[in-house]
Formats: sequence, structure tokens, C-alpha cells
Amino acid sequence: MLPYVIAGLVLGGIYAISAASLTATHRSTGIFNFSFGAMAYFVARFYYFLHMQHGWGIVTAAIVSLLIVAPALGVVLYFGLFRFLRLSTTLIKVAAMLGLSVCLPPIATLLFGNIAILKAPGLAPEPVQVFHPLDVPVTMDQLIVYASVVVIGLLGVVILRFTAVGLQVRAMVDSPALMSLTGTSPNAVSVGVWAVSSFLAGLAGILSAPIIGLDSGSFTLLMAAAFAAVIAGRLHSLPTAVGVGLGMGIATSLVQKVMPPNSSLTTAVLPSIPFIVTALFLAFTTLRRGRLNEGDGVGGALDRAIAPQSGPGGSRTAVRRPTGILRRRSWEPSTLVLVAIAMVAAFTIDSFWTGYLAQGAAFAVVFLSYTLVTGEGGMIWLCQITFAGVGAVTSAQLATNHGWPVMLAVLAGGLIAAPMGTVLGLLTIRLGPLYVALVTITFGLLMDKLVFTRDIFSQHGLGVAISPPGFADTDATLTVLGLVVFLTVAYFIVNIRRSSTGLALNAVRWSEPGARTIGISILQVKVLTSALAATIAGIGGGLLAITAYAAIPANFNTLEGVIWLATLVTAGIRSNAGALFAGLTYTLFPAVMQIYLPQSFSSVPVLLFGLGAVYIAKSPDGWIPEIGDQLTGLAAKLLRRPGRDVIASSARESSQV
Amino acid sequence: MSAMTGTAAPVLEARGVSVHFGGIKALQGVDVAVAPGAITGLVGPNGAGKTTLFGVLSGLLRPTAGTVRLKDHDVTTASAQTRARKGLARTFQQPELFLGLTVREHLTLAYRSTHHRSRLWTDAFTAGGLRRPDTDETARVDFLLDVLFLGGVADQPVGSLPLGTSRLVEVGRALATSPAALLLDEPLAGLDSYEVDKLAAALRRAVAEEGTGMLLVEHDVSMVLSVCRRIYVLDFGVLLAEGTPQQIRDDPKVRVAYLGDEVIAEEKS
Repeated sequence: MLPYVIAGLVLGGIYAISAASLTATHRSTGIFNFSFGAMAYFVARFYYFLHMQHGWGIVTAAIVSLLIVAPALGVVLYFGLFRFLRLSTTLIKVAAMLGLSVCLPPIATLLFGNIAILKAPGLAPEPVQVFHPLDVPVTMDQLIVYASVVVIGLLGVVILRFTAVGLQVRAMVDSPALMSLTGTSPNAVSVGVWAVSSFLAGLAGILSAPIIGLDSGSFTLLMAAAFAAVIAGRLHSLPTAVGVGLGMGIATSLVQKVMPPNSSLTTAVLPSIPFIVTALFLAFTTLRRGRLNEGDGVGGALDRAIAPQSGPGGSRTAVRRPTGILRRRSWEPSTLVLVAIAMVAAFTIDSFWTGYLAQGAAFAVVFLSYTLVTGEGGMIWLCQITFAGVGAVTSAQLATNHGWPVMLAVLAGGLIAAPMGTVLGLLTIRLGPLYVALVTITFGLLMDKLVFTRDIFSQHGLGVAISPPGFADTDATLTVLGLVVFLTVAYFIVNIRRSSTGLALNAVRWSEPGARTIGISILQVKVLTSALAATIAGIGGGLLAITAYAAIPANFNTLEGVIWLATLVTAGIRSNAGALFAGLTYTLFPAVMQIYLPQSFSSVPVLLFGLGAVYIAKSPDGWIPEIGDQLTGLAAKLLRRPGRDVIASSARESSQV
Repeated sequence: MSAMTGTAAPVLEARGVSVHFGGIKALQGVDVAVAPGAITGLVGPNGAGKTTLFGVLSGLLRPTAGTVRLKDHDVTTASAQTRARKGLARTFQQPELFLGLTVREHLTLAYRSTHHRSRLWTDAFTAGGLRRPDTDETARVDFLLDVLFLGGVADQPVGSLPLGTSRLVEVGRALATSPAALLLDEPLAGLDSYEVDKLAAALRRAVAEEGTGMLLVEHDVSMVLSVCRRIYVLDFGVLLAEGTPQQIRDDPKVRVAYLGDEVIAEEKS
């Protein structure tokens, strides 16, 4: 038992450091650091760059990485991004932080080289020494983890409780607004908090590298597991977060002891433990407390008074811009123009590109599910890709293994996703938007580990084959099929947007009490929207499988979904045209880069998608609506001028008469 | 303490309502009745439990004990939206508006939520989006825009409106549901005298012409004494007194606990 507990404390220690940093940052700056894993990877990769690629000593490389580069990264990100987010809505914060998590790994690749790293060192000198206290083997790397947890814990307590800086941080946790009125700048404290947070991310990264290797996906996954401890601490309790983090590490180690080794079930269950902890905690808390909102008890009255409303994407323009009852943004003209261009392109461009076009149209259908659930419904769901995966594997199973007509199987894939969306909608109805984001990403990761890894779906990574329907057996006709489905779904969304239901959706996201007291059922609005969005994602997933000629579950992993969301947010999450543009860009842009630019630029598309999402902090509506507004304004100006001239000239004429 | 001494049956009634938050007793055995076609007042110092009682009456809070009846139906366990559909509306101390919608859209949505509810499915398949308003809807919405003097800002998003106008929009949204009972939580706070007159006129009209029963929470005691037919006084979660404005004015307990110098000064002047 003891060896397992001691071994578990290593993973638990990394969870604890991550959870402590995430909790402290969220409490003091109001931002949940979804990019913690990416920051950890960036610093760990830099440490590897210095130590292994340039032969620097461990101490020098660690000092430069952890004490100079990591804090500098936090400071740069604060001035470049975080300071713009403080008064943004949760949706903007989440989208921007996810964008950052998407673009940091490719930046690391561009800066430090695109090399395969099979084994990464930690802070212990090689060969790593092994000790045997209590007859339990403990490596130097493990000892450094234990020591780090203890030192950080003690330093944290001393600084927060007994120093002036700690007092300032605690004051900022209570009320940044009041703190600024006392003459202390919350910005200065925030810079410090982000520098420390970045240091802790770097430390967690370097300590994790010997265990999980230097792979950005593994890092993000490991840190996402730490989210469970943060959620258990209800986003504000440091001791609970640290305790649960340590506990999860030990539990994982003990489960490893109990479960049979080399079993596929063990392989699936072990990484799922943090996500199971999250699910259990949320079920327990919502049953006991009724509601769970990240804003509860945060800040003082003045902070609440100046806090942003949780409206449509926090778009300031949504408040400013007059929206007549029949002029709600629907984007039919630009959507139709884009569809027409894609249709013409399908039959005119080189056949090599048509395959990408067909896939882009299928992606656009999936992206419309985000448009509905997040853009219209205001619910930050990070698992639409999972529903797309469900649609894909279901349609492949039904069409290939059970002989269903392909399009019927695709429809069934969407309908299978619907009850899953309904259940998730019901489970999250009493949660605040940040909790919804955390729960849905947890659900997605659980599905990745427990369901999509099943052999019946993955077929050892090859997936289940599926052929296109007979009437769409070329890439050009597949593109048309995708665009027709896209137009149909877009038509439904436009109708909903411009209907009484659209008004009700809008009402619910701005004020639930206000909506309830005029007779709107929050349950009905949210659950139906969730179910419909899951269905759309499922159908889109089926189409994606058809265009790839196979349903490969690995293509639908939750972290890839973050890149999907980043791409869509860049184009415009409330715009149908944005969804189509994002879908086409997501497939065509990397292909163009791959063909016309050297291999070293392969990570640039993902980097740009991430940067686009980061840009949401400046432009909440996205690029497509922004460009559309500018074009509309220009057209209005051009059209108005001749009109004025006519009136002016007729006035002149009449005065002359 | 009897809840009602008038002739008409109350449109909204709370009996023996208690609300406990852990060890804190926010309300203890409170009886309140709202008569149709009249304004009933609810006054008390800050922390007396007025907003908690509004939460219980409107269905946003579940009472620890007691019952709530709306139009003689027990709605104690009914949700806020069910009560709204049965004829209960309310406003909030801090206006709870939908900042993405225009003033007209607020009224339209409120009207349709209680008069012409549509389903997501029918809306998704209906070409042309928002259906054209029928004559009754247009008449009701235009009437409310007119009496609340909101016509000039009808197509503006509410996020750009000042507090006073926002309060008028919230009252208009509540009245658009044609409520049998309306709970008004400090509707005059932040309004200038011109806006107070507009709002008072609209409320009086709703009471007189539509028989709406209103429960008014307001710190302006002279206003409450002048417009309410019956007044309840809450203090530390218990009902201190109830009666006509004159009875409340003369009640020594109320004078000590709440009215104090304000009424005395008014009487002297």
C-alpha cells in the first residue's frame, strides 16, 4: 500500500501545484486559466531547449526557465491579453484563454524547433538517483516534487498571511474596486499574480515532463485533470483544491494497484479518475446547494455593480447597436453568397481541393451547433466535438455494420446525440457559465477515455469505414450535400433567432429571474437548445465521417474541439456565415500552408486559429460580422450620398424657381 | 392576525409564510393578502424581509413553511414561470432587463409568453421568423408604450437607457402579461418627479381599468400612505402591523419602529 501512496503523491503533487495556481489566479484576477497546460508546456519545452538542445546545466537552465522566462511569460500575457479580460464576460474570457492554449504550443514549436522528444528530463541530474526510505523506491525527481509541494505550500501561507503583498492579494480577492479606491493598483497586483502563476505552471510542467513526456496534448490533458481539484474547491478554496489534488494522485495510484494490469478497462479508467471526481462533486453539490455559480460570494457590492452582464458574448456592440424587432442579425445574404461561391468552386476548381471543400462544408454543419448553443443560447459547451464523434461512430456502425442507408444512419447519429445533449443540459442547468464550460470539457474528456477508446469504435485507430451515399459519390457532389445540410440547419437557426423563441433565448441569457417572472421556462429553453445543438453536431459528425470515408474516434478528441471553437470564434460565433467561413478555413488553410510553405510552417494554421480566438478580447463579434458591418456601413454611406445630392439639387432647383 | 378585512377575495395571498436561511429567520409566520383592483403597501426598514417575501410570492424562493395562493389556487410549490402564466408579475429592486432586446421586444416577449406561447419546434420550421403581431398584441404593446411614455425609445436596446426609463420598461414588461397581481419592488427608486408621475398614472390606470391587484414595496412612506388602500408593516421578519393608511399612521408600534420622525414632521408641516 505504502509504495502506491508515495508514488501517487507525485502525480498528486503536480495536481496540487496546478490546482493551487489555478484557484489563486481565478480568485484574484477573475480569470480561469484554461491555458495553464499550454503555459506549462511552453516553459518545460524552453527548459528542454536550454538543457538538452544547448547543453546548459540543470541549475542554470532551471533558473532561466523558471525565474526569468516563466514570470516574463505571465507578465507579457498580462499586458497583451489578460488585462483586457478582467471586465469581460465569462464567454469572452473562456474563448480567449482557450485561444491562448491553442496558440502557445505552436509558438513553442516555431521558437524551439519541431523535434520528436521521446524522453524529457526533470530537475534531477541524470542518471536519476533512487533512494529507499521505508523500503520504498523513491527517485530524486519524485523527491523534488514532494519538496516543491511543501515549499510552495509553506511560502504561500507565509506570503498570503504575513506580508503586505499577501494582504494586497487578499484585498483584491475581496474587492478589486475597493482596493483601487484605497490607492493600490489592482493591475500591479495582477501582474504579480500572473507572474507567480506562470512560474507555477512552468514548475508543474518541468516536474511533469519525466512522467508524461514533452507533448502539448498530454500537458493540456494533465492540467485539465487538475481542474477537478479546482472544481472540488468550488473555485475558491485553496486548501480543498490542494487536498483533492493530492488525493486524486493517491487514488489513481491505488486504483492501479487494485485493477488488473494490461487491461483495456484499466487503461480507460485510470486517466478518467479526475473527471469522475468532477462529476461526483458536481452531482453532490448541486443536489445539496441547488445552484453553483462561479460569481457567488466573489467581490464586493461595488465590484458586482461594475461587473459585466452575462449577455451575448459580452458584445458591447450588442448593447449599443439598435436591433429592430425584424432586423435581428441573421446574416442570410453573406451566408448565401459564401454558399454560392463554394458551390461554384466545387465544380470548377482542381479535384484535389474539392475533397477539402467537402470536409469544410461538413465542419461548417458541426460549427452551427456552437452557433446555436453558445452563440444564441449563451451556454459555453466545450463538448460539441464529442457529439460530432457520437454522430460519426453511430452512423458508421449503422451504415456499415447494420446495412442502414447512409443518410438515414447520419440522421440517426444526430438523434442519438440528442438525448445526451438533453441530459447534459439538465445536469448543467443550475450551474454558472464557467462551471458549464468545465463540466462539458470534463464530459468530453470522459467520453474520449471511456467510450471512444473501445475497440468496436476505434478498430485499433483505423475507425469504422463508411461510404458516401450513391447520389454523392464524388467530392463535388459531397460538397453540395454538405452545403445543402448546412443551409437547412442555418435556415432553422435563422428562424429561431428571429422568432419568439429567439427572443426568449436572448432573455434567458441576460436575466434568468426576469425571464422566469414573465412565464419563460428556463428548463425548456435551455434543454431544447442543448438537444437541438447536440443533434446538429451529431449530423455534422456523420457528414465528416462520410467525407473522410471512416469514423475515426481519435479525430473527435475534446482538445481538438478547442481548436474548432477557436476557429469559429475567430470568424464569429453568432454568425451562420462565420460558421461556413470557419469550416472552409479549417480544412483549406492548413492544406494551402502544407503545399505551398515549408514543413516548419505546419503549426502556423493552428497558431493563427488560436490568435484569432485571443482577438475576441478586442472584437467579441468575430471577424466576419465585423467585416460585414463595415461593408454595410460603407454601402449605406455610398447609397446615402447620391440621395442627399438629389434632395439638395431638387431643393436648389425649387428655390431657383 | 387576519390577513384580509375587505369584501373582495384576495387575488394573491400568503399565509403563515416563514423563510429560514440556516439559523437566520428571514420571515416568520407572515400573512399578507393583495386585493384585486387596489394597491396594497408593504413597508419596513431595510432587512425587514420585504424582498424575501417578494421572492416567496413570485416563486423564486421556496418558503420553509406556509402557503401562497394565487387567484384561489395553491401555488406554494409552483415555479415562477407557472405563477407568471397564471397571472402574477413582478418588478425587481435592481431592474432585471434583457440587455440584448429593445424596449418593444421586452413588451412583445412578455405579452407572448403569457398570451401566445410558441414552441422551439414550430419556430424552427416557420419561415419568415418572427410572426406578425395580431391586433390585440399590437394594441396592448402600443398602449403600454404610450402610457409609460416609452414610444420614443421603443426600438432602442434597453442597455442604453437610464435607470428611470429602465424601471418604466420593467413595469411595462410586467403589465404586458396582463397580470392579475403585480409585485412592485421599489419601483420609484431612481426616478425623477416627472417619471414618478408617469409611472403612478400608468399603475392607477391598470388598477382601475384592469382590476390588477398590486403589492407595493416602497421607502417613500408618504407615497405609500397616499396611494395604498391597505398597508402591511414588516420588521425583523415578522408582521408588525396591518391596516388602512390611517390605522398605520396612528399605530404607536409602527411609529416607534419605522415611521418615526418622518410622519411626525409631515404632520407638523
